[in-house]
Amino acid sequence: MLCRVNLSASGMDVLEAEDGRTALELARSERPDLVLLDVMMPDVDGWMVARELADDERTREIPIVFLTARAESGDKRMGQQLGGVGYIVKPFDPVTIGDFVERVIERVERGEREQLTRDISSTTGQ
Amino acid sequence: MSTPQTHDAADRARRLQRVAELLAEAVTPQQVLDAILTDGVRAAEAHAGAIGVLSADGENIELLAQRGYDPDLMSAWATFAVDAQLPMSEVVRTGEPLFISSLAERNRLYPSLSHLGQEGNALAVLPLAIHGAVFGGLSLSFDRDIVFEHERRELKMAFARQAAQALARSRLYAAEQAMRERMTFLAEASELLASSLDYNRTLGRLAQLCVPRLADWCAIDILGPDGEIERLTVAHEDPEKVRWALELQERYPPDPEAPRGVANVLRTGEPEFLPTISPELLDEALGDDDELREIVNELGLTSSIAVPLRVRGRTLGALSLIAADTHEPFTSADFELALELARRAAVAVDNALLYRKAERGANAARALAYVADGVVLIDHEGVVRHWNQAAASITNVAEEDALDRQVREVVPSWDALTTHVPLVAPGAAARPVTVPIVIDGDERWVSVAGVRFEQGTVYALQDVSEERALEKTRSDFVTTASHELRTPLAAVYGAIRTLRRPDVELAEEDQAQFLEMIEAEATRLARIVDQILLAGQLDADAVELEVSECDPSEIAARVIESAQLHAPESISLSLDVDGTPKISCDEDKLRQVLVNLVDNAVKYSPGGGHVELRVRNGHGSCVIDVVDEGLGIPPGERERIFEKFYRLDPEQTHGVGGSGLGLYICRELVERMDGHLSVESEPGKGSRFTLELPAR
Repeated sequence: MLCRVNLSASGMDVLEAEDGRTALELARSERPDLVLLDVMMPDVDGWMVARELADDERTREIPIVFLTARAESGDKRMGQQLGGVGYIVKPFDPVTIGDFVERVIERVERGEREQLTRDISSTTGQ
Repeated sequence: MSTPQTHDAADRARRLQRVAELLAEAVTPQQVLDAILTDGVRAAEAHAGAIGVLSADGENIELLAQRGYDPDLMSAWATFAVDAQLPMSEVVRTGEPLFISSLAERNRLYPSLSHLGQEGNALAVLPLAIHGAVFGGLSLSFDRDIVFEHERRELKMAFARQAAQALARSRLYAAEQAMRERMTFLAEASELLASSLDYNRTLGRLAQLCVPRLADWCAIDILGPDGEIERLTVAHEDPEKVRWALELQERYPPDPEAPRGVANVLRTGEPEFLPTISPELLDEALGDDDELREIVNELGLTSSIAVPLRVRGRTLGALSLIAADTHEPFTSADFELALELARRAAVAVDNALLYRKAERGANAARALAYVADGVVLIDHEGVVRHWNQAAASITNVAEEDALDRQVREVVPSWDALTTHVPLVAPGAAARPVTVPIVIDGDERWVSVAGVRFEQGTVYALQDVSEERALEKTRSDFVTTASHELRTPLAAVYGAIRTLRRPDVELAEEDQAQFLEMIEAEATRLARIVDQILLAGQLDADAVELEVSECDPSEIAARVIESAQLHAPESISLSLDVDGTPKISCDEDKLRQVLVNLVDNAVKYSPGGGHVELRVRNGHGSCVIDVVDEGLGIPPGERERIFEKFYRLDPEQTHGVGGSGLGLYICRELVERMDGHLSVESEPGKGSRFTLELPAR
């Protein structure tokens, strides 16, 4: 809800999924410009969602930004391995999330996807 | 027919017979000498007699005893050459008796004697021989001129033969006696040496044993670690003299470089034997020190022996024997005895030293056996030389399976264990390294330090697996606690930031939702903090119980009521009470436990279902079950869920939330109320937590 309200305020269309399975279905059917993915979810967790998105031709190109309370370097590495382009550690300021997502989408369009993935290791917050 | 002459002859024969009997009875050399020179000389009608024997080297004749001669005169003739122009020398040389009828004849035959011994007249010198070998001579002097006719000569010769036999026999007896004494002495000394491992004391007693039997003085010196001469003991029969000798030692400390004596023996390991201490020798030893000369003169040293205490090619010390005022000068037999004695003493000292060393080693090994750290000694060939009990338990290899084997065979992962361990020199600060090793499939963390020394390398091993696990638990605690705090904090912070966003006007409904979120997440934060604090208190054993009589069914009813208010619609809750014994417990804590269990039952039933609280009588207890139809718990996790911070599938339980402390706290609280908390579960079908508390 936090993200929805703030992203909408930045003029974005937001689709919400309350668990991993719904998220996958939505991503496949709606092909969003970007997925903001919580790692800790019941049933199908964020890592698994990312893996399945990458395995599916329809969703392979959708940039993923992870959103999690886990700040250990191992978790960040996992985010990199799964091709994430951003890694946001909770707590974060939701007011700036819209700008952040816009910037990421721009850079991905400029072909800086790999650079964004590399930058995850130095992420401290948003 | 009896003539005076035949009567005399028969009388002489009878007297000779009597002497023969006396000689046969005499045992010791002294008794034999007495018998020859008193009864024998009288029987031979002589007025004086003397006995001389060949010296050991065969060059001289030494007078053993005399009777009837002027003592001064005799002392002048104590020793004379075999090849001298003297009656006894000639007899010993030729083996033929000499009969001289008068003084005039003697002076004619031996002009050198003409100015001496004028008191005698006739002289008979007879060879003392045994089995044809001459070993001395017997001289008989008569106070009148005698014509030695055949019968007289025969009788004198018979007397000499008997005397020679008796003398030889007694000398043999004396030698045997001396041998026996030596053997006895050696046996006593050996017994003494074997009696104690305190070799300082034993050597002191050995020196005591030597005086006066073996010598007037006995001293034992030990070579100190820096080559200094250390006088261990001085013995003399007279303690006053010992004191004096020790004082002397203080004033004249031994010079380790001295060319003779103990210093020389210690330096070279060669024995020194001075049968007679000549004045020249003393001059050489004493130099110009008049005071010392006076002292030595007073001592009246006659003979000395210094033998090394030598064993396994090493000189440990020296044993010195001195003959002075009372003891006869030493013979080669004494020297042999001293050598043997020193040999045995050296072996005893060596044994004592070896034993001490071995004992020290054994003590060290005994001490190491009880050290909590593993101690392992590896020689330069990589062979295990020591493996204490702790090393055995860390590596799972018993001492007997490790000793004298290649360490790589004993512990296959030994190289992995020690490769990165810096080896320090003895005395340097150890630099332990903690490394993981796999022993029989188990991973263990071992802290290893190594010291390299002459015989190899000694490693100290410490199993730090528990510390490591504790460390990991602590770091997990921090990680988990921060996760758990981050999520509600993110919600609270994010909601407030959003609410205060000036550029966005939120719908009223959204605003209300954000406020609810803030309230719920703040409550959750508070609960997590409470649980962390409570877990900390439980760890520190600082939780106080307020025990009172209470009714568990009543508490259970209130827990269910409260749960019904918050539970999702998909969950139905019920209470089943079947007889309720009163129990003594902390009511708040019991409620806390039940709330937690019911909350868990609800949380882990994401697909909905029924949750029931059952209260019943047990055997002398009250049993409360919390039963759900939820996810259930895999068999391997059923005990682990009671561990601090352990969570079932932590990644997937978001939303149901929790600190990972709930069940840990429940079990700790229940056990503090003398109760018991357990779980039964079938994955996919649900779980049953059973709480049992003793009835009042």
